[in-house]
Amino acid sequence: MFLAAAFAILVTMILAIARALVGPSVYDRVLAVNMFGTKTVLLLSVVTFLFGRPDFLDLALAYALINFIGVLAVLQFFENRHQDDADRAEDT
Amino acid sequence: MITIVFGVFLLTLLLIVAIAIVREQDLFTAVTLMGIFSLLMAANFFVLDAADVALTEAAVGAGISTVLLLGALALTPGRERSIPKGRWLALVVVTLTTLVVVHATFGNPRLGDPGAPVHQHVAPWYLEQTPELIGIPNVVTAVLGSFRAYDTLGEVIVVLTAGIGVLFLLGLPGAVGERRREELALGRTYLSHHLVPQVVGRLLIPFILLFALYVQFHGEYGPGGGFQAGAIFASAIILYALIEGEREALTVISPRLLVWMMAGGALLYGGVGVVTMLLGGNFLDYSVLAEDPVKGQQWGIIVIELGVGITVAGVLLAIYHAFAARGR
Repeated sequence: MFLAAAFAILVTMILAIARALVGPSVYDRVLAVNMFGTKTVLLLSVVTFLFGRPDFLDLALAYALINFIGVLAVLQFFENRHQDDADRAEDT
Repeated sequence: MITIVFGVFLLTLLLIVAIAIVREQDLFTAVTLMGIFSLLMAANFFVLDAADVALTEAAVGAGISTVLLLGALALTPGRERSIPKGRWLALVVVTLTTLVVVHATFGNPRLGDPGAPVHQHVAPWYLEQTPELIGIPNVVTAVLGSFRAYDTLGEVIVVLTAGIGVLFLLGLPGAVGERRREELALGRTYLSHHLVPQVVGRLLIPFILLFALYVQFHGEYGPGGGFQAGAIFASAIILYALIEGEREALTVISPRLLVWMMAGGALLYGGVGVVTMLLGGNFLDYSVLAEDPVKGQQWGIIVIELGVGITVAGVLLAIYHAFAARGR
């Protein structure tokens, strides 16, 4: 049961990696990384039960809590870059 | 068997992503791929049953490393400079090194072999003596905090030194005088006008802080400890800075306090060592801290882990603010 679920998640991870590698746009990649993060949370949760160590669920919790901070940073990065471009266009 | 299948699978993906990162010319794409690299690495550590290391990778890789790499990227051009041709010598050296390393792996013991040298040296002694001498279930914390406390003190000093190095290069505004405080966050957009991230972030910050405290003080019983807790704590404050603006975050933890945290954590760690010496023990021999040596060990580990956590959180936040202030 857990094994099948784990392999299904691994296959999904490959698909997410393929999307992150192929792109083509930045947003494809950001979405792929975000999805890969979610899959990691799932994989870790399933593997803890597969190996009979549910106390290691802490790890999945850590990812679930702080994984989206990177995506927020990406959003801010682009927002700032757009702002800078707009400022530069105004200056010229 | 399952471990090996998972391990080979994850390592293959890791290899693919690593090659893609090296070949990628667009630095932003490389940063996003680094996020996947870190996730794969953590999953791999975890499958190999190294939960403490995996949690460290998770705490640093999930949020902070992406944030810091983007902060660095904001200071640099977005594309890698094209490399001049004719680097055959480098290729030859790399190929030879790879062959040597591959050849060396054939001498490695089988995965999980009980007769492997690493399981014959001091590890059995640690496993046997931890319940008796220190009395905590997580042997990793016992080794890190007590048996190998000198090494961990060294690591804390390394973290502190790295933080000092970055601050020397980039500078932390407001750490010396409050003059530049007002100049911060001017002309910069934050995510504060985006409702969804702001609401979700505000909801999550208390839970992240709580989780950081849990990881900090539960390190004796499960995976965790000062390094991980410090990184998670710093993630919560960085999240606050992302959604509310940096000035707000610097009001919560001022630059001056950050500098004190950086040095104070390491000082607390070293201070425990001095106290144990004054009480008649060796440097960082916690047994003398309480009547019962086992209790003394536990107290010592809790205090030094706190020192580690404070230093790590202070350094990571200081580096973040240094990059963010420089990016404008």
